Amino acid sequence: MKKNRQYRIFIMPAALVLAAVVVFPTIFLYYISLTNYDLSIGWQAKKFVWFGNYAYLFTEDPLFWKSFLITFIFVISTVSAEFILGMLVALGLNKIQRGRRLLLSLIIIPMVCTPSIIALMWKLMLNTEYGVLNFLLRLIGLSNVNWLGMKMALPSVILVDIWEWTPFMVLMLFAALQSIPEEPLEAARVDGASNAQIFFYVKLPMMMRIALIAVILRLVDSFKIFDTIYALTQGGPGSATEVFSMRIFRIGFQHTNWIGRASAYAVIIILVLSPLFSKFTKLIKEDR
Amino acid sequence: MYIEKKWRVKKFITYVLLIVFTLFCVFPFFWMLLTSLKVRVDVIDPSVWIFKPTFENYKNVFEKRNLLFNIKNSVIVVSGTTVISLLLGTMAAYGFARFNFKRKENLAFWILSLRMLPPMAVVISFFVLGRLLRVLDTHLYLIIIYLSFNIPFTIWMMRGFIEDIPIEIEEAAWLDGCSRFEGFFKVILPLISPGLIATAIFCIIQSWNEFSLAFFLTTFNAKTVPTIVTAFLSVTGVLWGEMAAVGVVAIAPIVLFAFLVQKNLVRGLTFGAVKG
Repeated sequence: MKKNRQYRIFIMPAALVLAAVVVFPTIFLYYISLTNYDLSIGWQAKKFVWFGNYAYLFTEDPLFWKSFLITFIFVISTVSAEFILGMLVALGLNKIQRGRRLLLSLIIIPMVCTPSIIALMWKLMLNTEYGVLNFLLRLIGLSNVNWLGMKMALPSVILVDIWEWTPFMVLMLFAALQSIPEEPLEAARVDGASNAQIFFYVKLPMMMRIALIAVILRLVDSFKIFDTIYALTQGGPGSATEVFSMRIFRIGFQHTNWIGRASAYAVIIILVLSPLFSKFTKLIKEDR
Repeated sequence: MYIEKKWRVKKFITYVLLIVFTLFCVFPFFWMLLTSLKVRVDVIDPSVWIFKPTFENYKNVFEKRNLLFNIKNSVIVVSGTTVISLLLGTMAAYGFARFNFKRKENLAFWILSLRMLPPMAVVISFFVLGRLLRVLDTHLYLIIIYLSFNIPFTIWMMRGFIEDIPIEIEEAAWLDGCSRFEGFFKVILPLISPGLIATAIFCIIQSWNEFSLAFFLTTFNAKTVPTIVTAFLSVTGVLWGEMAAVGVVAIAPIVLFAFLVQKNLVRGLTFGAVKG
Protein backbone atom coordinates (compact mmCIF):
# COMPACT_ATOMS: atom_id res chain seq x y z
CA MET A 1 0.00 0.00 0.00
CA LYS A 2 2.77 2.37 0.94
CA LYS A 3 4.57 1.81 -2.32
CA ASN A 4 1.51 2.66 -4.33
CA ARG A 5 1.52 6.21 -3.13
CA GLN A 6 5.17 6.88 -3.83
CA TYR A 7 4.46 7.67 -7.47
CA ARG A 8 3.06 10.99 -6.36
CA ILE A 9 6.44 12.19 -5.15
CA PHE A 10 7.90 11.44 -8.56
CA ILE A 11 5.09 12.89 -10.63
CA MET A 12 3.81 15.78 -8.54
CA PRO A 13 6.57 18.37 -9.18
CA ALA A 14 6.31 18.09 -12.95
CA ALA A 15 2.51 17.95 -12.81
CA LEU A 16 2.33 21.10 -10.70
CA VAL A 17 4.64 23.01 -13.02
CA LEU A 18 2.61 21.94 -16.04
CA ALA A 19 -0.59 23.00 -14.32
CA ALA A 20 0.94 26.42 -13.72
CA VAL A 21 2.48 26.95 -17.16
CA VAL A 22 -0.08 25.23 -19.35
CA VAL A 23 -3.45 24.62 -17.71
CA PHE A 24 -3.80 27.97 -16.05
CA PRO A 25 -2.70 30.03 -19.08
CA THR A 26 -5.06 28.06 -21.33
CA ILE A 27 -8.02 28.73 -19.06
CA PHE A 28 -6.90 32.33 -18.84
CA LEU A 29 -6.85 32.50 -22.64
CA TYR A 30 -10.48 31.32 -22.84
CA TYR A 31 -11.34 33.98 -20.29
CA ILE A 32 -9.60 36.82 -22.19
CA SER A 33 -11.30 35.73 -25.38
CA LEU A 34 -14.63 36.61 -23.74
CA THR A 35 -13.54 40.17 -22.89
CA ASN A 36 -12.80 43.27 -24.92
CA TYR A 37 -9.32 43.61 -23.37
CA ASP A 38 -7.16 45.95 -25.37
CA LEU A 39 -3.54 46.82 -24.60
CA SER A 40 -4.35 50.51 -24.84
CA ILE A 41 -7.16 50.50 -22.24
CA GLY A 42 -5.57 48.69 -19.32
CA TRP A 43 -6.63 45.57 -17.48
CA GLN A 44 -9.16 47.14 -15.10
CA ALA A 45 -11.12 48.86 -17.85
CA LYS A 46 -11.92 45.72 -19.82
CA LYS A 47 -15.48 44.50 -20.12
CA PHE A 48 -17.03 41.09 -20.47
CA VAL A 49 -18.44 40.74 -23.97
CA TRP A 50 -19.34 37.02 -23.95
CA PHE A 51 -19.03 35.72 -27.50
CA GLY A 52 -18.76 39.15 -29.04
CA ASN A 53 -15.21 38.55 -30.25
CA TYR A 54 -16.17 35.30 -31.94
CA ALA A 55 -19.17 36.96 -33.57
CA TYR A 56 -16.86 39.71 -34.80
CA LEU A 57 -14.39 37.24 -36.31
CA PHE A 58 -17.00 35.20 -38.11
CA THR A 59 -19.12 38.05 -39.41
CA GLU A 60 -17.18 41.30 -39.54
CA ASP A 61 -13.44 40.62 -39.68
CA PRO A 62 -12.68 40.79 -43.41
CA LEU A 63 -9.47 38.80 -43.03
CA PHE A 64 -10.67 35.92 -40.87
CA TRP A 65 -11.79 33.64 -43.69
CA LYS A 66 -8.96 34.84 -45.89
CA SER A 67 -6.33 33.89 -43.32
CA PHE A 68 -8.13 30.59 -42.84
CA LEU A 69 -7.88 29.93 -46.56
CA ILE A 70 -4.21 30.97 -46.71
CA THR A 71 -3.40 28.70 -43.77
CA PHE A 72 -5.31 25.87 -45.44
CA ILE A 73 -3.43 26.28 -48.73
CA PHE A 74 -0.14 26.54 -46.86
CA VAL A 75 -0.72 23.44 -44.73
CA ILE A 76 -2.05 21.22 -47.51
CA SER A 77 0.62 22.14 -50.05
CA THR A 78 3.57 21.94 -47.66
CA VAL A 79 2.61 18.67 -46.02
CA SER A 80 1.69 16.87 -49.24
CA ALA A 81 4.81 18.06 -51.06
CA GLU A 82 6.98 17.14 -48.09
CA PHE A 83 5.39 13.71 -47.89
CA ILE A 84 5.81 12.88 -51.57
CA LEU A 85 9.33 14.28 -51.85
CA GLY A 86 10.28 12.73 -48.50
CA MET A 87 8.99 9.35 -49.64
CA LEU A 88 10.98 9.47 -52.88
CA VAL A 89 14.18 10.38 -51.06
CA ALA A 90 13.58 7.74 -48.38
CA LEU A 91 13.05 5.08 -51.06
CA GLY A 92 16.25 6.21 -52.75
CA LEU A 93 18.20 6.04 -49.52
CA ASN A 94 16.79 2.60 -48.87
CA LYS A 95 18.21 1.41 -52.19
CA ILE A 96 21.79 2.49 -51.61
CA GLN A 97 24.38 1.42 -49.07
CA ARG A 98 27.54 3.43 -49.58
CA GLY A 99 27.46 7.07 -48.48
CA ARG A 100 24.04 6.75 -46.90
CA ARG A 101 25.14 7.91 -43.46
CA LEU A 102 26.87 10.96 -44.86
CA LEU A 103 23.87 11.95 -46.97
CA LEU A 104 21.53 11.50 -44.01
CA SER A 105 23.75 13.69 -41.82
CA LEU A 106 23.67 16.48 -44.37
CA ILE A 107 19.96 16.13 -45.06
CA ILE A 108 19.01 16.84 -41.45
CA ILE A 109 20.68 20.26 -41.48
CA PRO A 110 17.64 22.32 -42.61
CA MET A 111 15.39 21.17 -39.80
CA VAL A 112 17.79 21.98 -36.99
CA CYS A 113 18.70 25.45 -38.27
CA THR A 114 17.17 28.25 -36.21
CA PRO A 115 14.03 28.87 -38.33
CA SER A 116 13.82 32.63 -37.90
CA ILE A 117 17.46 33.17 -38.81
CA ILE A 118 17.65 30.79 -41.74
CA ALA A 119 14.39 32.25 -43.07
CA LEU A 120 16.10 35.63 -43.17
CA MET A 121 18.89 34.07 -45.20
CA TRP A 122 16.22 32.80 -47.57
CA LYS A 123 14.97 36.35 -47.81
CA LEU A 124 18.41 37.32 -49.09
CA MET A 125 18.52 34.38 -51.49
CA LEU A 126 15.04 35.24 -52.81
CA ASN A 127 15.82 38.92 -53.31
CA THR A 128 14.90 40.06 -56.83
CA GLU A 129 18.07 42.00 -57.65
CA TYR A 130 20.83 40.44 -55.59
CA GLY A 131 19.39 37.08 -54.62
CA VAL A 132 21.30 34.00 -55.65
CA LEU A 133 18.16 32.23 -56.86
CA ASN A 134 17.50 34.77 -59.58
CA PHE A 135 21.21 34.72 -60.40
CA LEU A 136 20.98 30.97 -61.02
CA LEU A 137 17.81 31.47 -63.08
CA ARG A 138 19.56 34.06 -65.23
CA LEU A 139 22.46 31.68 -65.63
CA ILE A 140 20.21 29.14 -67.32
CA GLY A 141 18.60 31.82 -69.41
CA LEU A 142 15.41 32.51 -67.50
CA SER A 143 14.24 35.93 -66.37
CA ASN A 144 14.05 37.33 -62.84
CA VAL A 145 11.19 36.30 -60.60
CA ASN A 146 9.83 38.67 -57.95
CA TRP A 147 9.79 35.91 -55.33
CA LEU A 148 8.41 37.89 -52.43
CA GLY A 149 6.00 39.99 -54.51
CA MET A 150 2.23 39.76 -54.39
CA LYS A 151 1.91 36.76 -56.67
CA MET A 152 4.83 34.62 -55.59
CA ALA A 153 5.03 35.36 -51.85
CA LEU A 154 2.86 32.45 -50.73
CA PRO A 155 4.53 29.90 -53.05
CA SER A 156 7.94 31.17 -51.84
CA VAL A 157 6.97 30.75 -48.21
CA ILE A 158 5.73 27.27 -49.06
CA LEU A 159 9.04 26.52 -50.80
CA VAL A 160 11.02 27.52 -47.72
CA ASP A 161 8.86 25.31 -45.52
CA ILE A 162 9.34 22.40 -47.92
CA TRP A 163 13.08 22.96 -47.78
CA GLU A 164 13.04 23.03 -44.01
CA TRP A 165 10.78 20.08 -43.26
CA THR A 166 11.11 17.55 -46.09
CA PRO A 167 14.15 16.21 -44.18
CA PHE A 168 11.81 15.36 -41.32
CA MET A 169 9.67 13.25 -43.65
CA VAL A 170 12.78 11.64 -45.14
CA LEU A 171 14.02 10.65 -41.71
CA MET A 172 10.67 9.30 -40.52
CA LEU A 173 9.82 7.42 -43.71
CA PHE A 174 13.33 6.04 -43.99
CA ALA A 175 13.01 4.71 -40.43
CA ALA A 176 9.68 3.18 -41.41
CA LEU A 177 11.18 1.52 -44.49
CA GLN A 178 14.04 0.13 -42.45
CA SER A 179 11.64 -1.43 -39.96
CA ILE A 180 9.93 -3.55 -42.65
CA PRO A 181 11.08 -7.16 -42.38
CA GLU A 182 12.58 -8.84 -45.44
CA GLU A 183 10.22 -11.88 -45.61
CA PRO A 184 7.00 -10.28 -46.93
CA LEU A 185 8.98 -8.40 -49.58
CA GLU A 186 10.67 -11.65 -50.59
CA ALA A 187 7.33 -13.45 -50.71
CA ALA A 188 5.83 -10.73 -52.90
CA ARG A 189 8.79 -10.91 -55.27
CA VAL A 190 8.50 -14.68 -55.54
CA ASP A 191 4.83 -14.23 -56.39
CA GLY A 192 5.93 -11.99 -59.25
CA ALA A 193 4.77 -8.64 -57.92
CA SER A 194 6.11 -5.57 -59.72
CA ASN A 195 8.04 -2.89 -57.85
CA ALA A 196 5.03 -0.59 -57.87
CA GLN A 197 2.83 -3.37 -56.53
CA ILE A 198 5.32 -4.15 -53.79
CA PHE A 199 5.40 -0.51 -52.82
CA PHE A 200 1.64 0.06 -52.72
CA TYR A 201 0.49 -3.30 -51.37
CA VAL A 202 3.33 -4.36 -49.09
CA LYS A 203 5.59 -1.48 -48.09
CA LEU A 204 3.06 1.32 -47.79
CA PRO A 205 0.65 -0.55 -45.48
CA MET A 206 3.55 -1.57 -43.27
CA MET A 207 4.80 2.00 -43.07
CA MET A 208 1.34 3.34 -42.32
CA ARG A 209 1.65 3.92 -38.62
CA ILE A 210 4.92 5.84 -38.67
CA ALA A 211 3.86 7.69 -41.81
CA LEU A 212 0.64 8.75 -40.13
CA ILE A 213 2.50 9.98 -37.06
CA ALA A 214 4.85 11.95 -39.31
CA VAL A 215 1.99 13.49 -41.28
CA ILE A 216 0.05 14.49 -38.17
CA LEU A 217 3.09 16.10 -36.59
CA ARG A 218 3.74 18.03 -39.78
CA LEU A 219 0.09 19.08 -40.10
CA VAL A 220 0.12 20.50 -36.58
CA ASP A 221 3.48 22.23 -36.95
CA SER A 222 2.64 23.61 -40.36
CA PHE A 223 -0.59 25.03 -38.98
CA LYS A 224 1.35 26.70 -36.17
CA ILE A 225 3.95 28.35 -38.37
CA PHE A 226 4.99 31.83 -37.34
CA ASP A 227 8.76 32.45 -37.21
CA THR A 228 9.58 31.55 -40.82
CA ILE A 229 6.81 33.71 -42.21
CA TYR A 230 7.59 36.55 -39.84
CA ALA A 231 11.19 36.68 -41.01
CA LEU A 232 10.34 36.26 -44.68
CA THR A 233 7.32 38.47 -45.31
CA GLN A 234 5.73 39.47 -41.99
CA GLY A 235 2.44 38.35 -43.50
CA GLY A 236 2.78 40.60 -46.52
CA PRO A 237 2.76 41.93 -49.08
CA GLY A 238 -0.65 43.19 -47.98
CA SER A 239 -2.06 40.08 -46.40
CA ALA A 240 -0.83 37.61 -49.02
CA THR A 241 0.95 35.37 -46.52
CA GLU A 242 -1.09 36.16 -43.46
CA VAL A 243 -1.55 32.71 -41.96
CA PHE A 244 -3.48 32.21 -38.75
CA SER A 245 -0.60 32.85 -36.33
CA MET A 246 0.38 35.91 -38.30
CA ARG A 247 -3.19 37.18 -38.07
CA ILE A 248 -3.09 36.78 -34.29
CA PHE A 249 0.11 38.79 -34.16
CA ARG A 250 -1.23 41.55 -36.36
CA ILE A 251 -4.62 41.90 -34.73
CA GLY A 252 -3.31 41.63 -31.17
CA PHE A 253 0.05 43.32 -31.27
CA GLN A 254 1.06 44.99 -34.50
CA HIS A 255 -1.77 46.86 -36.21
CA THR A 256 -4.35 46.98 -33.46
CA ASN A 257 -4.09 46.04 -29.81
CA TRP A 258 -7.21 43.90 -29.67
CA ILE A 259 -6.00 41.20 -27.33
CA GLY A 260 -9.54 39.94 -26.76
CA ARG A 261 -10.10 39.28 -30.44
CA ALA A 262 -6.64 37.81 -30.89
CA SER A 263 -7.41 35.41 -28.03
CA ALA A 264 -10.57 34.30 -29.79
CA TYR A 265 -8.39 33.47 -32.81
CA ALA A 266 -6.05 31.51 -30.57
CA VAL A 267 -8.93 29.53 -29.07
CA ILE A 268 -10.09 28.67 -32.59
CA ILE A 269 -6.59 27.35 -33.41
CA ILE A 270 -6.70 25.07 -30.39
CA LEU A 271 -10.16 23.81 -31.36
CA VAL A 272 -9.15 23.17 -34.96
CA LEU A 273 -6.04 21.26 -33.93
CA SER A 274 -7.48 19.19 -31.11
CA PRO A 275 -8.81 16.36 -33.31
CA LEU A 276 -5.27 15.98 -34.63
CA PHE A 277 -3.94 15.88 -31.09
CA SER A 278 -6.26 13.08 -30.12
CA LYS A 279 -5.62 11.11 -33.31
CA PHE A 280 -1.90 11.37 -32.59
CA THR A 281 -2.21 10.19 -28.99
CA LYS A 282 -4.50 7.36 -30.11
CA LEU A 283 -1.89 6.15 -32.59
CA ILE A 284 0.75 6.06 -29.92
CA LYS A 285 -1.59 4.45 -27.40
CA GLU A 286 -2.25 1.55 -29.80
CA ASP A 287 1.45 0.97 -29.96
CA ARG A 288 2.01 0.68 -26.23
CA MET B 1 24.31 -8.92 -68.58
CA TYR B 2 21.55 -6.59 -69.74
CA ILE B 3 19.82 -6.70 -66.37
CA GLU B 4 23.11 -6.01 -64.62
CA LYS B 5 23.63 -2.88 -66.75
CA LYS B 6 20.10 -1.63 -66.25
CA TRP B 7 20.48 -2.11 -62.52
CA ARG B 8 23.69 -0.08 -62.54
CA VAL B 9 22.15 2.78 -64.48
CA LYS B 10 19.27 2.83 -62.04
CA LYS B 11 21.63 2.98 -59.09
CA PHE B 12 23.60 5.77 -60.71
CA ILE B 13 20.45 7.83 -61.26
CA THR B 14 19.40 7.21 -57.67
CA TYR B 15 22.71 8.57 -56.44
CA VAL B 16 22.52 11.62 -58.69
CA LEU B 17 19.02 12.49 -57.52
CA LEU B 18 19.92 11.97 -53.86
CA ILE B 19 22.96 14.20 -54.21
CA VAL B 20 20.89 16.91 -55.92
CA PHE B 21 18.40 16.79 -53.04
CA THR B 22 21.22 16.94 -50.49
CA LEU B 23 22.74 19.95 -52.21
CA PHE B 24 19.33 21.63 -52.10
CA CYS B 25 19.23 20.97 -48.33
CA VAL B 26 22.73 22.25 -47.66
CA PHE B 27 22.77 25.20 -50.02
CA PRO B 28 21.22 27.91 -47.80
CA PHE B 29 23.64 27.06 -45.01
CA PHE B 30 26.52 27.15 -47.46
CA TRP B 31 25.32 30.47 -48.89
CA MET B 32 25.06 31.93 -45.41
CA LEU B 33 28.64 30.88 -44.67
CA LEU B 34 29.80 32.36 -47.97
CA THR B 35 27.94 35.64 -47.42
CA SER B 36 29.32 36.01 -43.91
CA LEU B 37 32.88 35.90 -45.27
CA LYS B 38 32.33 38.41 -48.07
CA VAL B 39 33.48 42.01 -48.12
CA ARG B 40 30.81 44.74 -48.21
CA VAL B 41 30.49 45.17 -51.96
CA ASP B 42 30.39 41.46 -52.73
CA VAL B 43 27.56 40.71 -50.32
CA ILE B 44 24.95 41.96 -52.77
CA ASP B 45 26.62 40.40 -55.79
CA PRO B 46 25.44 36.78 -56.17
CA SER B 47 27.88 36.12 -58.99
CA VAL B 48 30.84 36.19 -56.59
CA TRP B 49 31.55 32.66 -55.37
CA ILE B 50 35.31 32.66 -55.08
CA PHE B 51 36.96 35.48 -53.14
CA LYS B 52 39.42 36.27 -50.38
CA PRO B 53 37.51 35.72 -47.12
CA THR B 54 37.25 38.47 -44.54
CA PHE B 55 36.21 38.28 -40.89
CA GLU B 56 35.03 41.88 -40.88
CA ASN B 57 31.36 40.87 -40.48
CA TYR B 58 32.12 38.70 -37.46
CA LYS B 59 34.13 41.49 -35.89
CA ASN B 60 31.25 43.88 -36.44
CA VAL B 61 28.54 41.71 -34.92
CA PHE B 62 30.56 41.11 -31.79
CA GLU B 63 31.86 44.65 -31.39
CA LYS B 64 29.08 46.88 -32.70
CA ARG B 65 26.02 44.70 -32.32
CA ASN B 66 27.05 43.13 -29.06
CA LEU B 67 26.02 39.66 -30.16
CA LEU B 68 27.65 38.27 -27.05
CA PHE B 69 24.91 39.84 -24.94
CA ASN B 70 22.19 37.91 -26.83
CA ILE B 71 24.24 34.75 -26.70
CA LYS B 72 24.56 35.15 -22.95
CA ASN B 73 20.78 35.55 -22.66
CA SER B 74 20.19 32.47 -24.78
CA VAL B 75 22.67 30.42 -22.78
CA ILE B 76 21.06 31.42 -19.47
CA VAL B 77 17.55 30.62 -20.68
CA VAL B 78 18.47 27.41 -22.47
CA SER B 79 20.55 25.97 -19.66
CA GLY B 80 18.02 26.98 -17.00
CA THR B 81 15.06 25.40 -18.75
CA THR B 82 17.01 22.30 -19.76
CA VAL B 83 18.28 21.56 -16.25
CA ILE B 84 14.87 22.02 -14.63
CA SER B 85 13.12 19.99 -17.33
CA LEU B 86 15.55 17.11 -17.02
CA LEU B 87 15.23 17.04 -13.26
CA LEU B 88 11.44 17.22 -13.00
CA GLY B 89 10.78 15.40 -16.26
CA THR B 90 13.00 12.42 -15.50
CA MET B 91 11.46 12.01 -12.05
CA ALA B 92 7.98 12.06 -13.54
CA ALA B 93 9.10 9.70 -16.31
CA TYR B 94 10.23 7.25 -13.64
CA GLY B 95 6.83 7.54 -11.98
CA PHE B 96 5.10 6.72 -15.26
CA ALA B 97 7.48 3.92 -16.16
CA ARG B 98 7.59 2.07 -12.85
CA PHE B 99 4.30 2.61 -11.03
CA ASN B 100 0.74 1.73 -11.77
CA PHE B 101 -1.98 4.08 -10.69
CA LYS B 102 -5.46 5.06 -11.64
CA ARG B 103 -5.79 6.98 -14.90
CA LYS B 104 -2.05 6.84 -15.43
CA GLU B 105 -2.28 6.61 -19.20
CA ASN B 106 -4.85 9.39 -19.39
CA LEU B 107 -2.48 11.70 -17.57
CA ALA B 108 0.49 10.59 -19.66
CA PHE B 109 -1.32 11.16 -22.94
CA TRP B 110 -2.65 14.48 -21.82
CA ILE B 111 0.97 15.50 -21.18
CA LEU B 112 1.94 14.22 -24.61
CA SER B 113 -0.74 16.35 -26.27
CA LEU B 114 0.68 19.46 -24.58
CA ARG B 115 3.73 19.20 -26.71
CA MET B 116 1.60 20.03 -29.73
CA LEU B 117 -0.02 23.15 -28.32
CA PRO B 118 0.66 26.08 -30.65
CA PRO B 119 2.89 28.71 -29.01
CA MET B 120 0.78 31.38 -30.65
CA ALA B 121 -2.24 30.14 -28.72
CA VAL B 122 -0.69 30.44 -25.28
CA VAL B 123 1.63 33.37 -25.87
CA ILE B 124 -1.21 35.85 -25.40
CA SER B 125 -1.90 34.57 -21.88
CA PHE B 126 1.80 34.56 -21.10
CA PHE B 127 2.07 38.11 -22.36
CA VAL B 128 -0.90 39.45 -20.40
CA LEU B 129 0.10 37.56 -17.26
CA GLY B 130 3.69 38.75 -17.59
CA ARG B 131 2.49 42.32 -17.93
CA LEU B 132 0.28 42.07 -14.85
CA LEU B 133 3.02 40.41 -12.81
CA ARG B 134 5.71 42.70 -14.24
CA VAL B 135 7.98 39.82 -15.23
CA LEU B 136 8.18 40.42 -18.97
CA ASP B 137 11.67 40.57 -20.40
CA THR B 138 13.28 38.53 -17.62
CA HIS B 139 15.32 35.36 -18.00
CA LEU B 140 13.37 33.57 -15.31
CA TYR B 141 10.00 34.09 -16.99
CA LEU B 142 11.30 32.68 -20.26
CA ILE B 143 12.90 29.74 -18.44
CA ILE B 144 9.60 28.88 -16.76
CA ILE B 145 7.57 29.24 -19.94
CA TYR B 146 9.93 27.05 -21.92
CA LEU B 147 9.18 24.33 -19.38
CA SER B 148 5.75 24.08 -21.01
CA PHE B 149 7.23 22.25 -23.97
CA ASN B 150 10.44 20.85 -22.49
CA ILE B 151 8.89 18.98 -19.55
CA PRO B 152 6.33 17.05 -21.66
CA PHE B 153 9.09 16.21 -24.10
CA THR B 154 11.46 15.02 -21.35
CA ILE B 155 8.79 12.92 -19.68
CA TRP B 156 8.03 11.02 -22.87
CA MET B 157 11.61 10.59 -23.97
CA MET B 158 12.84 9.44 -20.58
CA ARG B 159 9.86 7.19 -19.99
CA GLY B 160 10.95 5.21 -23.05
CA PHE B 161 14.56 5.05 -21.93
CA ILE B 162 13.61 3.92 -18.41
CA GLU B 163 11.22 1.27 -19.71
CA ASP B 164 14.08 -0.10 -21.79
CA ILE B 165 15.85 -1.04 -18.57
CA PRO B 166 14.69 -4.36 -17.09
CA ILE B 167 13.02 -3.92 -13.72
CA GLU B 168 14.95 -6.94 -12.33
CA ILE B 169 18.09 -4.82 -12.03
CA GLU B 170 16.25 -2.43 -9.78
CA GLU B 171 14.59 -5.19 -7.79
CA ALA B 172 17.99 -6.61 -6.98
CA ALA B 173 18.98 -3.23 -5.55
CA TRP B 174 15.82 -3.11 -3.42
CA LEU B 175 16.63 -6.55 -2.05
CA ASP B 176 20.02 -5.19 -1.05
CA GLY B 177 18.19 -2.64 1.06
CA CYS B 178 18.03 0.31 -1.30
CA SER B 179 14.95 2.53 -1.06
CA ARG B 180 13.05 3.52 -4.19
CA PHE B 181 14.92 6.83 -4.29
CA GLU B 182 18.33 5.29 -3.73
CA GLY B 183 17.51 2.77 -6.43
CA PHE B 184 16.55 5.56 -8.78
CA PHE B 185 19.71 7.58 -8.19
CA LYS B 186 22.23 4.77 -7.83
CA VAL B 187 20.95 2.19 -10.31
CA ILE B 188 18.64 3.81 -12.85
CA LEU B 189 20.31 7.17 -13.31
CA PRO B 190 23.72 5.83 -14.39
CA LEU B 191 22.04 3.42 -16.82
CA ILE B 192 19.90 6.05 -18.49
CA SER B 193 22.62 8.66 -18.78
CA PRO B 194 23.05 8.22 -22.56
CA GLY B 195 19.32 8.80 -22.96
CA LEU B 196 19.52 11.71 -20.59
CA ILE B 197 22.25 13.35 -22.64
CA ALA B 198 20.30 12.84 -25.87
CA THR B 199 17.18 14.32 -24.29
CA ALA B 200 19.19 17.26 -22.96
CA ILE B 201 20.54 17.98 -26.42
CA PHE B 202 17.03 17.95 -27.88
CA CYS B 203 15.86 20.37 -25.18
CA ILE B 204 18.83 22.60 -25.95
CA ILE B 205 18.14 22.59 -29.69
CA GLN B 206 14.46 23.36 -29.42
CA SER B 207 14.92 26.03 -26.75
CA TRP B 208 17.80 27.65 -28.60
CA ASN B 209 15.76 27.83 -31.81
CA GLU B 210 12.53 29.01 -30.19
CA PHE B 211 11.37 32.31 -31.64
CA SER B 212 7.66 33.04 -31.11
CA LEU B 213 7.60 33.08 -27.31
CA ALA B 214 10.90 34.93 -26.97
CA PHE B 215 9.77 37.46 -29.53
CA PHE B 216 6.62 38.39 -27.60
CA LEU B 217 7.95 38.12 -24.07
CA THR B 218 11.29 39.91 -24.31
CA THR B 219 12.14 43.42 -25.42
CA PHE B 220 15.72 44.08 -24.49
CA ASN B 221 17.20 42.57 -21.31
CA ALA B 222 16.41 38.96 -22.06
CA LYS B 223 16.40 39.08 -25.88
CA THR B 224 17.65 35.74 -27.18
CA VAL B 225 19.61 35.01 -30.35
CA PRO B 226 16.70 34.03 -32.69
CA THR B 227 14.96 37.35 -32.01
CA ILE B 228 17.90 39.27 -33.44
CA VAL B 229 16.22 38.89 -36.81
CA THR B 230 13.86 41.72 -35.84
CA ALA B 231 16.81 44.11 -36.03
CA PHE B 232 17.60 42.95 -39.56
CA LEU B 233 14.10 42.80 -41.02
CA SER B 234 14.45 45.92 -43.10
CA VAL B 235 18.06 45.31 -44.01
CA THR B 236 19.41 46.47 -47.28
CA GLY B 237 22.77 45.93 -48.90
CA VAL B 238 25.81 45.53 -46.73
CA LEU B 239 24.07 44.52 -43.52
CA TRP B 240 23.35 41.10 -45.01
CA GLY B 241 26.96 40.18 -44.34
CA GLU B 242 26.50 40.85 -40.64
CA MET B 243 23.21 38.96 -40.60
CA ALA B 244 24.90 35.98 -42.17
CA ALA B 245 27.65 36.13 -39.55
CA VAL B 246 25.03 36.11 -36.78
CA GLY B 247 23.44 33.15 -38.52
CA VAL B 248 26.64 31.14 -38.66
CA VAL B 249 27.41 31.81 -35.00
CA ALA B 250 23.86 30.86 -33.99
CA ILE B 251 23.38 27.83 -36.19
CA ALA B 252 26.78 26.10 -36.45
CA PRO B 253 26.85 24.86 -32.82
CA ILE B 254 23.27 23.61 -33.11
CA VAL B 255 24.08 21.63 -36.23
CA LEU B 256 27.01 20.03 -34.41
CA PHE B 257 24.72 19.15 -31.51
CA ALA B 258 22.28 17.59 -33.95
CA PHE B 259 25.02 15.35 -35.37
CA LEU B 260 25.64 14.10 -31.83
CA VAL B 261 22.06 12.90 -31.42
CA GLN B 262 21.57 11.68 -34.96
CA LYS B 263 21.09 8.13 -33.75
CA ASN B 264 18.20 9.22 -31.56
CA LEU B 265 16.78 11.78 -33.95
CA VAL B 266 13.67 9.84 -34.96
CA ARG B 267 12.96 9.07 -31.35
CA GLY B 268 13.38 12.70 -30.40
CA LEU B 269 11.23 14.02 -33.21
CA THR B 270 8.33 11.80 -32.18
CA PHE B 271 8.68 12.21 -28.40
CA GLY B 272 9.82 8.65 -28.02
CA ALA B 273 6.84 7.26 -29.94
CA VAL B 274 8.95 5.79 -32.72
CA LYS B 275 12.16 4.19 -31.55
CA GLY B 276 13.77 4.47 -34.99
